[in-house]
Amino acid sequence: MIPVSVITGFLGSGKTTLLGRLLRDPGMSRTAVIINEFGAIGLDHDLIEVSDESVVQLSNGCLCCNVRSDLVLTLGDLAARREAGTVPPFERVVVETTGLADPAPILHALMTDRNLCEIYALDGVVTTIDAVAGLSTLESHAESLRQAAVADRIVLTKTDMPGAQADAINEKLAVINPGAPVLPIVRGAIAPSALFDSGLYNAGARHPDVQTWLAHEAVAAAGGHARHHHKEDITSFCVIRNEPVRAVTLALLLSALAENCGVDLLRMKGIVRVAEEPDRPAVIHGVQHVYHTPVWLERWPSDDRRTRMVFIGCNIRESWVRGLLDLLDAEVAEETARQSIPRAACAQ
Amino acid sequence: MNAADVRVRDFLADSLALWRVAGKVEAGDSPTVAVVRADAGTIVWIERPSGEGLPLRWLVRWRGAGEAPGAPREQHPRACASLVGMLNTVRGALGVDRGAAVRIAPAPADA
Repeated sequence: MIPVSVITGFLGSGKTTLLGRLLRDPGMSRTAVIINEFGAIGLDHDLIEVSDESVVQLSNGCLCCNVRSDLVLTLGDLAARREAGTVPPFERVVVETTGLADPAPILHALMTDRNLCEIYALDGVVTTIDAVAGLSTLESHAESLRQAAVADRIVLTKTDMPGAQADAINEKLAVINPGAPVLPIVRGAIAPSALFDSGLYNAGARHPDVQTWLAHEAVAAAGGHARHHHKEDITSFCVIRNEPVRAVTLALLLSALAENCGVDLLRMKGIVRVAEEPDRPAVIHGVQHVYHTPVWLERWPSDDRRTRMVFIGCNIRESWVRGLLDLLDAEVAEETARQSIPRAACAQ
Repeated sequence: MNAADVRVRDFLADSLALWRVAGKVEAGDSPTVAVVRADAGTIVWIERPSGEGLPLRWLVRWRGAGEAPGAPREQHPRACASLVGMLNTVRGALGVDRGAAVRIAPAPADA
């Protein structure tokens, strides 16, 4: 699987500067870059930045003139060219969104397209926030809030500039998305390893960095209860369960979340102890109404074998999620018991 | 007071908030577990069906805003096999559109 990382951030927040610096790092060799210039998913421009001679070279727009402005087609085309050897064998893709984009449609495309899912795996979302203007942007632009809310990692840019408000922004981000590490940088300087390779969807190849990805401790430490951002009423909370969850309950839970929360659920991620497979945790991941197929890890990433689910959204009550899980659990347990009675009777 | 029924009512009240539907959830006479009264006028009755071995767990009746008592769906309830189905039915009765959901079941462990 080829990991795909999404870099998003509001206009002028430093996405391109960050990307430019990252691509000069040897660790980013063999990386294909897709720049989303117009529309939510439309990809209208050259695909690749060149970091060194060994990497993909498309400097004359040889792809941009052939691909259609669609992420799915672009990624599919890239994979086909990689297979055919007409582009160097890139090992990672980075998608840069527009400054006004809601990244959710891009994540949906990566999570739901059957052909893409056989080749690519979403690695994570990196969101840039400008330390100078970021505070007011978060206050006044819903797009910026959403970009921050879906982030797995947040890069705080321009921290060396006069007027930088890093502390105030950190405080606000601790409410919007307490689980995402905030990484302050100057002029785009940061190691790729700090941003990419959660390895979550490449289980087996590496030890997945579930702890960092989930970061449920940070969410729990943010108050243990839902925290509210006054403008968009974004809440984040963590649901922890000691008891294993039946596979049927998990399926019903994901269905109910997808069907009832809609666009209000900005991000959901979790690691679940499934009763039928207690030694292999299932990793679940949703963006709005779209849920990634659960991924089964080979083993638990730590001694903590509890089910942990992090929710970030608007207008979603923690009590609703807990109530849903409790009621589904009870319903499935009752149904399981009911169905086992005739078999027990037959055995006698 | 049946604790399980109270949990269902609390959950439905949270569901109304989630769907941004103004209204309230009340207790009903058995077998009605909950009565949802939307401020816009729709009334939904949620029942637990009686009888052993029935392959359904919930019955949902409703009367839309402006409909007279004895509306078709009040007379002929919709049967639901799970809480998820019941929620979908209540949501539909209240006219809540949450967009197209993509539902994905857990993959087999050896997939």
